[in-house]
Amino acid sequence: MKRFDCMTKLAARLSDELVILSLGASVDEWYNAAPHMRQASLFQQQLGCVTPQAFGLAAGLPDRQIVSLDTDGGLLFNLGILATLGNEQPKNLFVVVWDNEQYQSIGGPKTHTASGRVDLAGIARASGVDHAYTATTLEEFDAHCEAGLKSDTPYVVVAKVSGTVQPEIKRKHSDGREDKYIFVRHVEKTEGITIMGPSEHN
Amino acid sequence: MKQSSVDAVIRGLKRAGVSIVCYLPDSLFKELYPALDADPDIRTIQVTNEGEGAAICGGVFLSGKRAALVMENSGLRASVEPLARMGLGAGIPVFMLLSYRGDMGENNWWAVPHGITMEPVLQALRIPYAVEREEDRIEQAIVDAYELAYSSYYHTAVALSGSIVR
Repeated sequence: MKRFDCMTKLAARLSDELVILSLGASVDEWYNAAPHMRQASLFQQQLGCVTPQAFGLAAGLPDRQIVSLDTDGGLLFNLGILATLGNEQPKNLFVVVWDNEQYQSIGGPKTHTASGRVDLAGIARASGVDHAYTATTLEEFDAHCEAGLKSDTPYVVVAKVSGTVQPEIKRKHSDGREDKYIFVRHVEKTEGITIMGPSEHN
Repeated sequence: MKQSSVDAVIRGLKRAGVSIVCYLPDSLFKELYPALDADPDIRTIQVTNEGEGAAICGGVFLSGKRAALVMENSGLRASVEPLARMGLGAGIPVFMLLSYRGDMGENNWWAVPHGITMEPVLQALRIPYAVEREEDRIEQAIVDAYELAYSSYYHTAVALSGSIVR
């Protein structure tokens, strides 16, 4: 199963959701697979931060559906967030874990899921996230996207994907700061709120 | 902490507009956590490590709500990587309220490293901070630190020490 194909399936289901995503090749793949979600998607550079940040967004905007596009390496960096989600039970957070069993962005050394002994969905369930599943086919993944986006309890799908990167995808030229402004202005506009307002001139 | 100090912290957080607090409990702020949990205007989220709390607070910032990360100063060391990435890499601010372990008067050997490393770590990250040891300074220090975090879009911290936490 290719990550890009999964992204295309997920993207077709998204319109006014907000997305926090992980670093690496998946960033450019996502922006190519979901061009209509460009302003609504923010990538984070740090392993272990993606789902926590998505949960913070979900806590702050309880009426908005939030999607976390995390990775095996990222989730393994802070498994504790699964216990936090298990206890907090956010109603508006759908977590996708792209599990390619490797640290792809640095050339592909294996992660702990490569052994076949470590089951991230099982860890999630044991942490109190009852709806946590592993998808190995595109059809399964798409069905979990449909269910996860509608779920009123936290929903995790671990997508077992190959380590390939979609060829000839356009790379984004923005840095983390520009990305943040794009995302914040989108949230401000769609929520009718001010996050980064004017200075006071006093 | 005395109840009056707990009240001052909560007044400061409310004046700063904070509605979500992430925390990992510690001993010096022992009385503060249940008071935050009980406050109807504040949602508390207990986390498994302080770096996770920093990232959640970053997400709350992006939502337009205001968050605070409350922890022992040892948690600063656990938060350095997400703080550096969010603050220096993206300009996503996190306000932190720290209990100052290892300050003058510390009576636990295990807390000494927290005192030795806190200010140098804050300085290495270029995080503006205030150390407060008098109760009547707490409320305004929190308000001021939050104000600066939102004009700089960078982290700020207030560490409480002295008679406030002993």
